Amino acid sequence: MIVCVAVVGHQNNPLYIQSFTEAEDALKLHHIVHCSLDVIDERVNNPSKSGTTLNEAFLGLLYPALNYKVYGYLTNTKVKFIMVTSDLDVRDTDVRSFFRKFHAAYVDAVSNPFHVPGKKITSRTFSESVTNIVSSYSFN
Amino acid sequence: MVEPVNSSLGKMLLEEVSPVVMVLCTPLVEETFLKNGLSFVETLKPFCNFSNIDVPVRTSGDQLYRLKKFMLRLFNAADIRQPNVEVAKQRLEHVITQAGEKVFHDLKSDPPQITDILSNSESEIAPTWFQYYNKELIRTLSFSDHEAFDHPVACLLVVSSKDEDPLNKFVDLFNTNRLPSLLNDGVMDPKILKHFLLVHDNQDATTERTSKVLSEMRSTFGNNECNLLCTNSSKEGNVEHQANPWASFKSSVPAEKLGCALTGDDIGEIKDLMQEFASRHIIPYMEQKVRDLNQQISATRKGLRNQIKNLWWRKGKDDIPDSTKGSIYTFSSTESQIRILGDYAFMLHDYELALSSYRLISTDYKLDKAWKHYAGVQEMMGLAYFISDQSIKEAEYCMENASSTYMKLGKSGFQNATRCGLWWAEMLKARDQYKEAASVYFRICGEEPLHAAVMLEQASYCFVLTKPAMLHKYGFHLVLSGDHYKICDQVNHAIRTYRSAISVYESTTWSHIKDHVYFHIGQWYAIVGMNDVAVRNMLRVLDCGNQSKSTQEIFLRDFFDIVKKTGMKHEVVGLRLPVINMSSLQVIYEDHRTYASQASALVEESIWQSLEDDIIPSLNSGKSNWLELQSKLLPKKYKESNVCVVGESVKLDLEFRNPLLISTSVTSVSLICELTENSDDLKLVEKETSSLSLGTEHNQVTTSGFSSFTLSEVDFTLGGGEKKLVRLTVTPSEEGVLKIVGVRWELSGSIVGVHYFQSVPTKAKTNKAKRKNKLTPTDPLKFLVIKSLPRLEGSVDHLPDKLYAGDLRYLVLELKNNSESPIKNLKMKISHPRFVNPESHEEELTPGFPDCLKKGPEQNTVQRETSRTSVFEFPKDVSLQGDRSLRWPLWLRAAIPGTISLYFTIYYEMENVSSIMKYRTLRMHYSLQVLPSLETSFEITPSPSRLQEFLVRMDIVNRANSDSFEIHQLSTVGCRWGISLLQPVDTILPSKSILPGQGLSCFFMIKDCRKPGTEEEKTTSILPSQTDIKLITQDDDEKLFDIVNSPLASFHESERSCHGTSDQLSPNTVDFILISRLAKSSNPSAEQDLPKILSHHSCHNRIRSSIPLSWSLDGPKTMYHDFSTSFCEIKLKMVIRNTSDGFLSVSINTIDGLPDAAAPTPSSGNLSGWRYVPAITEEMKLTSDVMRSRLGKPPPSMESSPPFIWSGSSSTKVQIQPLSTTEIPVQISVFSPGVYNLCSYTLTWELSEHENASSSTSSGICQGYPCYLTVLQSE
Repeated sequence: MIVCVAVVGHQNNPLYIQSFTEAEDALKLHHIVHCSLDVIDERVNNPSKSGTTLNEAFLGLLYPALNYKVYGYLTNTKVKFIMVTSDLDVRDTDVRSFFRKFHAAYVDAVSNPFHVPGKKITSRTFSESVTNIVSSYSFN
Repeated sequence: MVEPVNSSLGKMLLEEVSPVVMVLCTPLVEETFLKNGLSFVETLKPFCNFSNIDVPVRTSGDQLYRLKKFMLRLFNAADIRQPNVEVAKQRLEHVITQAGEKVFHDLKSDPPQITDILSNSESEIAPTWFQYYNKELIRTLSFSDHEAFDHPVACLLVVSSKDEDPLNKFVDLFNTNRLPSLLNDGVMDPKILKHFLLVHDNQDATTERTSKVLSEMRSTFGNNECNLLCTNSSKEGNVEHQANPWASFKSSVPAEKLGCALTGDDIGEIKDLMQEFASRHIIPYMEQKVRDLNQQISATRKGLRNQIKNLWWRKGKDDIPDSTKGSIYTFSSTESQIRILGDYAFMLHDYELALSSYRLISTDYKLDKAWKHYAGVQEMMGLAYFISDQSIKEAEYCMENASSTYMKLGKSGFQNATRCGLWWAEMLKARDQYKEAASVYFRICGEEPLHAAVMLEQASYCFVLTKPAMLHKYGFHLVLSGDHYKICDQVNHAIRTYRSAISVYESTTWSHIKDHVYFHIGQWYAIVGMNDVAVRNMLRVLDCGNQSKSTQEIFLRDFFDIVKKTGMKHEVVGLRLPVINMSSLQVIYEDHRTYASQASALVEESIWQSLEDDIIPSLNSGKSNWLELQSKLLPKKYKESNVCVVGESVKLDLEFRNPLLISTSVTSVSLICELTENSDDLKLVEKETSSLSLGTEHNQVTTSGFSSFTLSEVDFTLGGGEKKLVRLTVTPSEEGVLKIVGVRWELSGSIVGVHYFQSVPTKAKTNKAKRKNKLTPTDPLKFLVIKSLPRLEGSVDHLPDKLYAGDLRYLVLELKNNSESPIKNLKMKISHPRFVNPESHEEELTPGFPDCLKKGPEQNTVQRETSRTSVFEFPKDVSLQGDRSLRWPLWLRAAIPGTISLYFTIYYEMENVSSIMKYRTLRMHYSLQVLPSLETSFEITPSPSRLQEFLVRMDIVNRANSDSFEIHQLSTVGCRWGISLLQPVDTILPSKSILPGQGLSCFFMIKDCRKPGTEEEKTTSILPSQTDIKLITQDDDEKLFDIVNSPLASFHESERSCHGTSDQLSPNTVDFILISRLAKSSNPSAEQDLPKILSHHSCHNRIRSSIPLSWSLDGPKTMYHDFSTSFCEIKLKMVIRNTSDGFLSVSINTIDGLPDAAAPTPSSGNLSGWRYVPAITEEMKLTSDVMRSRLGKPPPSMESSPPFIWSGSSSTKVQIQPLSTTEIPVQISVFSPGVYNLCSYTLTWELSEHENASSSTSSGICQGYPCYLTVLQSE
């Protein structure tokens, strides 16, 4: 189950963060997402380490936290997508396709002429489509 | 990279993995040394560390090497045991608490900046007490049973020379009963090197006895094993040591006291003793032991044969149950021997030998499943690899292996795992692998919160030191660590970690995390009593609009609790609760322009200006002297700022927004102002005030009663997310320069928020610029206060905001001047003269409204002054002063439906002009909503039978939504037209009122009563005064409304001018006024606001006629004639009237012949008897049908009427003057009795402007219309 998705701007400012858990763990998930930014930076700055993913937006598994796995995705505009899942065996292809759909939803949201680039995404349509995407992936 | 030996781990290992010397001493020895404030062990401790001992060592190989750094660890025999877990834990906690107390004072300072943190080196970032803590943590594991480096290598037996029978004492000391249990249990080897020391106290013992005892000792224990130590040479015991060697070891006692009885010689003696002990005894002993063990082990374990044997033997032990207890190995077992060999070799810095021994033993332990031993050996292997600077991978692998093996042991192994982790982390740090070190620290967090907190904090510092720094993780680990500290009530540490974390989150937009950090650090500061710092931090949280409601409640509640605890009012500049919307700032003030109400102040300035153009004396009136005039009017300085008047308030509208979901009450909202006395020393005073702290200055103004201005205070409550526009006022009471600096407000009576306006002057300026047009002041919040002036207040009483079109109201304009000085030259201009009409006299209506409009008994037909300018000037004698108020009557008539903004501007001048302001204007603005009511349209057509009579068809439609109307009266305007009913009133409108949406048509007759000056009027005319008809049946006594002498007339004038078209002068137009009123039953509620009468004006209704003439054929209708005598000649008269203003020439052509053929064919239109048929509409058709049925077709017998002959001239041409009538005699001859239709003629007319003009403007031909003549045979 995906517990949290986030969009982070190129200055590491949160653009959108949404958790899908019932528990009051928003703060924890915020921290996890915030921490994973370090890993993304590391991945991006040392592309040699990750080898083949030189020209790929998908960053793969960022780090396994205690009960979660964190995946990352970096767009051409240096906007980061971060996904936290509580499923511990996840196939990369699933995550890849998840991020592709998520990216499409994001592009739709920022194409809105009323969206201010670099500001938080407040579009209700976006959050609805994200919820749909998230609910369609259970990784099992 | 640092050399492994010199790294911090290398130093640590030197300290921790070094030979242990067990000290056994008599109480008298301790007593001797306590004179110095130190125990025996403590006295020796500083001298056990040899930085360059330079001893040649040879272990297993033949190679000699020199030992440089060496250290001994001295322990009292009683301390050689495994420390109690609980005691150890308490000691660790104590270390942390102590460290927390030390940092307490730093907490007040501002949190470190992230750039500072990044530029610092490792030692500066991590607190120094970590080293100490780690050391203590490692010590809790000393003397464990699976390791050998804590086994005592030697034993130091100490007896004082004062002891009785010292030799026996020596024997007693090494009595097995008194030895530590570990030695007796067989874990440690009790056969160790013994060294005997005699202590001689120079203060109170005799040298003779000492030397005697010493010689006895030497003879008993051997010469080499005995030493003499003379101490306390200083008799007075007040020696002070520069750089006291003990200071760093014992901090609880003042450093000066330590070793006070020891002279420099004594210290030198101790030093020499320890040096000798280490180099002469311990090292050779260890060398020897290593060599022995190595030989022994080579014999039993090395070589292929031995290994196979060993393997086989161990296989046999497989059935022994998995034992983690170390007790299966005693010191004498082969495994322990190998371990001892390894540890000794390690301590002697022969890492090769140590490694090979460890390798050998580790497989054994693994086979035996003695995991603890195995892990311990792996750990040592890792360290050995590291310190000998060999394979990094191997070292890490071993550490990892050790750590995970310890972890597998569960709780019992955790402490060991911790130690292993600490070493491992140090190892990684030494190799600059900080990130990995951090993860190691994270691994050894464990469950105990305090322990976890320290480890997490250490991990966080590793993230900073990573290149590039991983600040996000740094912050996260600090927060985690802080939370753990808090759980263990280590609030100081919690604050310290969070403070560092703030530096990470401060500049980010991760508000959720930020709020959490600031809120908790605020709470914790409050716990430690630093309420002011707490408040400072909590303030950052208040603007937490993105948090849930309950969180916001908690934030606010705690915040106010803390604020209350501080017990004082905090003044906070830039408080974000509530949020001030600076773009909403609007300043409303009155200079020469005054406003009657809020609404009028908000009207755009250009509207007023265009309205006031005519009445205000223009500044630029004379081009020649505008310079002079301007300068006289407004000195240059004044032009730079806005002008306001003493005693008149300056209003400021500001929007406050609550960012939270919970409602907040804001109290005492007021402006912060400065009023400087004189504009000349403006700059000087301003400087003074700005240097003052504004908070105190403000208090001074309000509390001390020195009030050069008064401020309004507003209290309000903002609901969740609510916005409120608040009006704040300041009223200056002295002349000078007033400056509005900012706004302040109180939150829950304890926090004072202050907001200064300077930050956004541009925004306000543009706003201002719009208002002031050309005269843009530099600062919209700066005012020049001039002395008090009269100010007119005005209002229109009972002005309804909703009314029907045509509604006529009587209103009163009330003007009041509260000041003593009079005003004069009042003028008023109204934006919609069509709507409002001022009465010319200041009079109260005597009969009341609407009866005053009705016709009195005496008809006063004085025509009112019709041409009025748009400016209404009050009579010259009107001057207002003091309490007297002027009540001026006004008439309001809602002319057209829609939303109407009415602007009144009243100009007045001050009587005693001494100020820079000579005149002022009062501006009033009202908006009306006018609903549609009755709509009328009129159709006028000439009557076919009468020359000057016309038929009027009035169509009324009720456009109102709900109300029905009664029509009351219809009048024509002016004296020209008389009006009369065609039908009885009852038949026109049986239901009496017109319902919403209902349409109605009714017919009237009007008659032109105009008398041309020359011609005499022959027609019988109705009285000229009959211009009104009552259209109502009940209330017979009710009088008609006077439309000539009432305000209705003036409204009619404006209506006329509004509808005025180019053919205004066309004579054939009629104006009607329909007066109606609301049906009584339709709206029983809102009785007061009911419209009393409504007037509907319809102007310039043209007579719908295409020809400018009318005519009739007059003559007898019936004649008797004796046809036997002759044919009959009948004289007729054709009366032609010129209805136009032009000159008309008409020629009459008679046509003889068959009337059937000549007469115009009775087409449907012509049959009706109307010569003009307007475009046919639905209603029209109806009426024409009515006409047709009424007039009827001529009887069929008439069709075959006998012929007649026109006997006069067949063509006559006449000229007719404008509006005059002429008669032309015509004659016919008939030959037999019958009914004749005299329609066989045509009139050809030509109209021209002038009498003899050749060109005609229009011309046409008219057919004659039927006129029947009956001729009978006379008897």
